[in-house]
Amino acid sequence: MDCKTALALLETYLDNELDRADARELEAHVDSCAECAAALTRLGDLRQSLRNQALHYTAPAELRERVRVAAAGALPSAPQAARRWAMPQWSRLAAACVLAFGAGGTAVHLWNPGQGLANPQTQIARDLFASHWRALAAATPVDVVSSDRHTVKPWFAGKVAESPLVRDFAEQGFALVGGRLDYVGNERVAVLVYRHGQHVIDVFVAPRAGSALTVEPAEQQGYSLTPVRLGDQPAVIVSDMDREERARFAQIVRSAQ
Amino acid sequence: MASAWVGELAQRHLDAAYNLGRWLLGNEQDAADAVHDAYLRAARSAHTYAGGNARAWWLAIVRNCCLARLSSRQRDAQLQSIDAPAVAAALPRSADNEVEDQAAAAQSGARIAALLRALPVEFRETLVLREIEDLSYREIADVLQVPIGTVMSRLARGRALLQRALETQETAHGL
Repeated sequence: MDCKTALALLETYLDNELDRADARELEAHVDSCAECAAALTRLGDLRQSLRNQALHYTAPAELRERVRVAAAGALPSAPQAARRWAMPQWSRLAAACVLAFGAGGTAVHLWNPGQGLANPQTQIARDLFASHWRALAAATPVDVVSSDRHTVKPWFAGKVAESPLVRDFAEQGFALVGGRLDYVGNERVAVLVYRHGQHVIDVFVAPRAGSALTVEPAEQQGYSLTPVRLGDQPAVIVSDMDREERARFAQIVRSAQ
Repeated sequence: MASAWVGELAQRHLDAAYNLGRWLLGNEQDAADAVHDAYLRAARSAHTYAGGNARAWWLAIVRNCCLARLSSRQRDAQLQSIDAPAVAAALPRSADNEVEDQAAAAQSGARIAALLRALPVEFRETLVLREIEDLSYREIADVLQVPIGTVMSRLARGRALLQRALETQETAHGL
């Protein structure tokens, strides 16, 4: 491992989010490199000072009591809405809470695409690349590991509004590895993960029609975005495959039944 | 009662909620009010909880209530811009703060606390959730409702800013 890679992974390592193989490689490098060791020490020192108890506020007893009283006197909750759309409702609620007060920050940009704010497409593209890179750096790019679509598909049920069409394309050279969840913009989306030779391919599947998950084809640092349709849902392929392989995979995805 | 679990959830993570509110809003009263609001909101919308990490669900509601307070405070202050420095500027420096700062000054945490308080809100909240509340990247992403990649870049940026600020201070004080 070289210094550039090591420095990029130091924080992930410190945060305990690096897989064991990479962590071991990083440790080996740090043992033999004074510069990276110093950088790690500096990060460790910063963590030490941030974990100072003086920075940790604890709830006053008065607040604890207020919440206890409120909970004890709570009115019976409103009639239960259908649970099917529970997740979007939660998102909408959160969005409404913020939007109603016109709060600032990027959150509003994401919740409010197309209202004269910075190009939302760029933000979506950035999210897609970031999610893909982060998955590549993680221990495993998937939350559910399975080449069996009958395992992957139900795993998504209840986690996203609409489970994606899950197909294994191993016969065509694109093996289903599994699936994961991630946020793109403010939407929780399903990600299907395929492997083709050394390439890891992410297919982000939009939860429903009218989703913000629409992008133009784009390339960045050797990685590409390719919008397609998977079944009747819009989707985006993210990978580092070359143009030819990309086109072939897009065709396979498009024709999936 | 259908939402009894929300009360238990809120009590179990009340310190985390209050700590987040305290760092977002800058004073005790607003933080406590925001957490109280958040509880009421959570209890009303208990049926929208769709599984997954309950602490993240609760903290996301707390955060939204804090942001709502922050922005109405800004509106009151007639600020036009809602970018991060303006948010930081809108934080009142109450007598409470001063007393607390002085009390904390006796401890080694005072310096770093002041620097953390001066960070733009998006870096401050991400660092608080990671370093003080010890949330995983995934949980932080759920609370902030942003991709994990964004969590990572905010952490990196926030840490770099803090480190630089610490170094500048050390040089200035000839430490």
